[in-house]
This record gives sequence, C-alpha cells and structure tokens, in this order.
Amino acid sequence: MGNEMVVNSRTSYLEWFKYKWSNDPLFSIFIGLVIMIIIQTLVLGFDYNSFGSWFQSWSNNWINILRNNAGIGIVALGMTFVIMTGGIDLAVGATLVATGAFAMALLDVGQRGILGIIGVTGYPAIILTIIFVLIFGYLLGSLIGVSVTKGMVPPFIATLGAMMVFRSVTQHLMQGYNPRVPVEFLQIASFKIGNLMIMPIIYWLIIAAILYYVSKRTTFGRHIIAVGSNERAANLSGVNVNKVKLRVYALMGLLVSIAAIIQVSRIGSMDYAGAGRGMEMDAIAAAVVGGTSMMGGRGFILGTVYGMLIIAVLNNLLNLFGVPPLLGDAFKGLIVIAAVLLQRKDKSS
Amino acid sequence: MFVEMNHIKKSFGSNDVLKDVSLTINGGEVYALLGENGAGKSTLMNILGGVHQPDEGTISVNGELEKFNKPVDSQEAGIAFIHQELNLINDLPIYENMFLGREPRTKTGSLDLEKMIRDTEEIFQKMNIKLDSKKMVGDLDSSYKQIIEICRAMITNASIIIMDEPTTSLTDQEIERVFEMMVTLKNHNVGLIFISHKLNEVMQICDRYAVLRDGNLVSEGLVKDVTTDDLARFMVGYDVRTEPLSRKRDLGEEILRVEGLTYKHAFKNIDFSIRVGEVVGFTGLLGDGRSELFQSIFGANDISSGKIYLNGKDIKIKSTLQAINKGIAYLPRNRKENAIIRDMDIFENSSIATWPKFSKRGVINTYIHKDKFKHLSEKLKIKMGKRTDNITSLSGGNQQKVVLSKWIATDPKILILDNPTQGVDVGSKEDIYDIILDLADENIAIVVLSSEASEIIRVCDRTLVMYQGVIQGELKGNEMTDHNIMRLATGGELTNKEWEANYGK
Repeated sequence: MGNEMVVNSRTSYLEWFKYKWSNDPLFSIFIGLVIMIIIQTLVLGFDYNSFGSWFQSWSNNWINILRNNAGIGIVALGMTFVIMTGGIDLAVGATLVATGAFAMALLDVGQRGILGIIGVTGYPAIILTIIFVLIFGYLLGSLIGVSVTKGMVPPFIATLGAMMVFRSVTQHLMQGYNPRVPVEFLQIASFKIGNLMIMPIIYWLIIAAILYYVSKRTTFGRHIIAVGSNERAANLSGVNVNKVKLRVYALMGLLVSIAAIIQVSRIGSMDYAGAGRGMEMDAIAAAVVGGTSMMGGRGFILGTVYGMLIIAVLNNLLNLFGVPPLLGDAFKGLIVIAAVLLQRKDKSS
Repeated sequence: MFVEMNHIKKSFGSNDVLKDVSLTINGGEVYALLGENGAGKSTLMNILGGVHQPDEGTISVNGELEKFNKPVDSQEAGIAFIHQELNLINDLPIYENMFLGREPRTKTGSLDLEKMIRDTEEIFQKMNIKLDSKKMVGDLDSSYKQIIEICRAMITNASIIIMDEPTTSLTDQEIERVFEMMVTLKNHNVGLIFISHKLNEVMQICDRYAVLRDGNLVSEGLVKDVTTDDLARFMVGYDVRTEPLSRKRDLGEEILRVEGLTYKHAFKNIDFSIRVGEVVGFTGLLGDGRSELFQSIFGANDISSGKIYLNGKDIKIKSTLQAINKGIAYLPRNRKENAIIRDMDIFENSSIATWPKFSKRGVINTYIHKDKFKHLSEKLKIKMGKRTDNITSLSGGNQQKVVLSKWIATDPKILILDNPTQGVDVGSKEDIYDIILDLADENIAIVVLSSEASEIIRVCDRTLVMYQGVIQGELKGNEMTDHNIMRLATGGELTNKEWEANYGK
C-alpha cells in the first residue's frame, strides 16, 4: 500500500513535470536557469567544512553578478514590452548615453554645472537631477514613440535613426567637457545596506515587480499583448493602438534613464563613445531567451528576468572557466539561439 | 481518373476524428463534401492531400494503391489542395506565383521568365481567363486570387482539385466567376472536391455530395435528388429551421440617424435612421461600402463629411473607444483578421472591450469580468473547456460567440454585426440568430451587415441595399426577396409596377 503511493506520487511528479514543460512557457526557461546555477555552484566548489565562508563567497559572487546586470536588466524589461507590441528599440544604448550625459551636465561641481550656475547644490540638486533626467528619458522615448505612431516610421528605422542622432549629438556636445559628479550622488548606487552594496539590485527588483503587475493586471499591460498579437482586432475592440505604442516607447526611455542614473552613480563618469554600445542587443537577447516572441504578442516580464540571469550566469561561468573574453559573445549568441530552439520544440509538441 | 479512399480511420489522441469513411471521386465531376465544423472534412482532405496519414485504410488513384507520406506525394499523384487561406505572394506577379517553388530555369541558372509567362498565358487561354499575367497578385480581387490558385493546380497537371471553402470571402459576382471556372475545369475532365457551408451553392454547382457527421459518412448521392433542407438535416442530424425569424416588436425612439455621410470613394451621401428594437439589414455586393460605412460610424475609419446623430444629439466619434463608451458596438467581418487575438485566452478575448470600463487607475477588475463571462457564456451556449484555454482551441462557431459576448458585455445601445455567421456551422448559426433577436427584444437597435440574402431575409425587419457606396433602396417585410435584393445590389431600381408584380399588392 505504502509502496504503491510512492510509485503513484512519483509518476504524478513526472506527469506534472511533463505537463509544466509543455504548457508553461516559463518552466523550461526556469529549469535552464536552475541548471546553470547548479553548474556555477559546482564550478565554484562546494565546501561543507567551512560552510560559512563558502556561503560568503558564493553570495558575494552573486551580488556582483546581479549588480553588474541591474542596469541592463531594467532596460531588458522595457524592451520586453516594446517587442511584445511587435516593435524594437535599437536606441536604448544611445538614450543611456544622452540621459547619462544630461545628468552629469546638470550635476557638475565644476564651472559649467547647469544646476550649480543657477545656485542649486547639495541634495536638492541631486533630487532635481533625478527628476529632470527621468523626464528627459521619458521625452526621448516619446519622441521615438511619436515617430513610430504618428509618423508611421517602422520601429527598426525610427530607433536606428534615433540611435545615431542621440549618440552623435551627445558626443559632440560633451566634447572636451569632463563634468565631475558630487560624491553624494554616488550614494544612489553605492549606499550600503548591512555592509552590502545592493541598491542597484533593489531598484531592478522593484521595477520588475511593478512591471510584472502592470503586465498581468492593468489595461495597459494587457493591451500591449492585444496590440502585438493582432493590431486590427485590438483597434476594433476599443484599444487605442497608437497610445499603447507611444506609452511603451516612453516607458522604455524612462527605464533607460533610470539605468543611466544607476550607471553614472556607480562609476561617477561616462564614456560617451563606448557606454551602452551593444546594450540594445543584450536587452533583446535577454527578452528572447526569456520567451518573448519577436513577432509580438507573446512575452513575459518574469521570463526576461530569468533570461537576463541566464546570460549573466553564463558570463560568470565563462570567466570562471577562463574562456578568452573575446569569445564571450559567441557563447551568448549560442545561448540565445538554443533558448529559442528549445521553446520552438515545446510549441510543436 | 478517379480517386478512391477506402475505410479511412484517423484519431488524434483519444479523439476519433474519422471512423471508417470511404469515398470515390471521379474526373469531370464536382463533388460536394459537407459537414459541420469538426465533422472530419478537413482531416479527410488533409489525408488525401498528404498532410496527415490515416491510421487505417487505403487511398488508390486509378485503381493503384498509393501512400501519401507528405503533400508532395499527393501532388505528384495529380491531387491539388487549395487551402482556405490562399498561398499566394502578393508582391510577386501572377506568372511567378504560378511557378512558386517550381520555377523553370534557363541554362545559365537564372529564372526563365519567358517560359513562365508563356505557360501562364497558355493556361489562361485554355481556361478562358482574361488577365494580364504580369499583374501583381496583390492588385487582384479575391475571386481572381482563387482562380490563380486553380490555374496553378492546372499547371501541375492536377486532375483532382480540393477546394476548401473557396467562396467564403467572395461576393456573389465573384462567386459566379469562380463557378464559371469550375465548369470549364469539369469540361476538361478535372474532378473537383468542393467543401462549403453554403448549401445553395452546392445545389448550383455540384453533381454529387457526401455528408460527414462526427467522423462518419452519413449520406452520399446525387445533388439533384435532394434539397438544401435535406442536406442541412443530414449535417446536423435533425431538422433545421429556414422560416423567417423576425418577431413583432413595438419600436421605440429613433436612436441613430446619419445624414450625408461620405468618406472618400468608399461611401457617399448616406442617409438612414434606426429605432430602438429594430433589426435592420445592410446588404450588397463587394465594393458596396457597407463595412466601411459602419467602421466609420464605429470610429475605426475617418469621415470626410456628414453628420451622425445619437439619440438626436450630433456626435463626433474619433476612436473606437469613444464609440464603445457611447454605446455603439461593432462585431467585424473576417473574424480571424479582425477579431481574434491569438495570444490571449478565451476569457480575455471576451472581456477586452470592457477592461477600461471596469478598471480603477488602470488596474483591471477581474472579478466583475469573470462574473459577466460566466453569465454570458451560459447565455450564448459557448462550448469550451477551461476559461483560460486558448481562443483558437474553439470551433469557428464558438469563437464567434466569444466575440459576440465581448460586445454584449459592453451593454451596447446599437449593436452592429458584420457578417456575424461567417465561417460558423449550422447549429451555432441558429444560436446566433436567436441571440440577435433576443437582444432586439431587450431594446437594443441591431444592424446586420451580410452578403447572404437569405440571412437578411430571415433575421431583419427591413433592409437597406447598397451599391457602390450609395444606398440603392430599402426593402421592408415581405418585399425582402432574393430577387429584389439582387436587383438593387447590382445597381438596378425597382419600379412600382414591379413591387405590385412581385407581391400583388
């Protein structure tokens, strides 16, 4: 009797696993992530005898991974929404540089700091800077949104153009100008909670939680799916398609400006030529690994978080294995393709 | 040439889709394959087309046993399958579409355009079609696209052509064109398998018929020996109503009035008015502008000039959301393109239009919607598994009921239904008619746009017939006949004499 029950529960676990695997699109992604974390843990070496210090180094490694990927993780969340509407945003890296430069120009403690000139300094300056930068990011995103909706420029083209314009103008304006950011500003990223520098991770988690809720329970979030899945049907169901798209790009700009603030406050400076280069591709990769369909209509905020973590753990693993850094992207590319192949297989079965 | 399918059985999982079906199709005949959605027609034809393989049973062509493991095998045996969704590339010219995937090449390896054009024109001549083979397929109307598909089958020397609901998206005029083509094919000794829900078309064009129900062949014979009522009865297994349904009702106040409505060339100077509790039909042929007219009233299209009065008040509708908020609902034609959102489940598809109404600061109130959906899915007799199943798991009829439930949930004052029974099986069709009339009893003004005269005649109190963007005439009560509707729809007028001749009034 007892034996039978064990057997039964075993088969039911297997059934449950099979069912989840083929019906829950996030399940296979989650399993992939777990496997990668197990490999990573094994590679790092597990030590029973001195569990305390092992756990210390393990969690330190994780905090590093998460902190390093928080900015791009936030951008990837916005990218998920953009892709779900059937669009794409290539301009995120350039927007990051533009909003980052704007933040530094506002804050500069040298001769040319904009807020300094009008006499605002200290904490008020920092708060104002955050507000202005968020607005600026929102506006840059809206600009792209308007050209996609009112101007009917395909998103790929509109954001390709914006990418070139934003970065080039920023580089030109910031030529020969090296603003210095006040030390207080750096606290945004480096404020320590119980000796741990985890602020960027907290921002990421909060934003992910908010956007998860938005995608599941709000009209805006559900309209995104409708628009990406069938634009005509959405419009004929009373969805203001242009408004949804506009808001998605504006939100993208807003999220990028948050990432810019985190980045500037982490290092205190910005390389206008190099910062954010390839960011759009990394964000797209995270979304795609997380189950977002490039055709629109299908996407998961939680999946994108998993996707970002998978890519991050992979990078960490490559480091630990001593793979030459230039080969890193090759593995990333393979993971993206493998993830899509895995999900494709699920769908057909 | 003849094809025999013997004792075909096929099941998907635990679902026996075909239970021992045998058919013979000969060259030079049009063979109607009938049945409700889910009766097994598509599966049977997919087996003949090599898409699926039978669990049991055999297929033989000209008496020789064949095994179709993939679609190409079937094509090589001379069987062509024209799917409901046409496989044409709009951005290529006709002649390249004709040779898609089998493009002839010159010695140097480049495309042999001359041969493609020559062969295409040869086929056109043989089939008596006047079309420029260099035209882009995207510029053709639906009937010519269907004809191009048929010609493509001819170019591969197909001797049996399967046509899956070829007339669904066509107007009466276009259907005639396709029928002419089918007769020509018959004369060239080609066998045609004609799958359709439209029984009067079957009577018109088919020689023999077979009816499938629940995976069984329930009836087979000569079309001339049966009536449409017989066929409908075979399909559903019981008697089907054909009597007019419109009910006597006290009409209320005027709710919608339109004056001089014009949009570019789609419709011109439209005047009409509708009262509460009325069921008004709008019909016509392709290019009559009725869909465009009501899409404009619904705020999905623009208006060049003219006025819309709702409850006597002059209103301007700039978006579909505004229209919904004002109590106007529009169920669009072509469900798949215009109404179904594939990435959302049944429940979401049925509640999307009311999300903004029942939400607080943008957060959707799911409880209200679940309640509403439970109520409506019972009222509309929606057959489904779980509420969270994918919308595409439902049959056409049930999908349409879900779309209808979405609009009823908005509590409309005016419900516009554009081809409400398109791609819907006979049973669901009757359900939908009943719902329409019940709603009219609940004091909702209903507009039915349909290209099927029989539908208009059965359901509507009166009908406006449109022709090339203008209202050509109005028919009331028993003035609504196939003949009168066709007369007006083709641009003709009805004189008083004719009224009298037709009705002896």
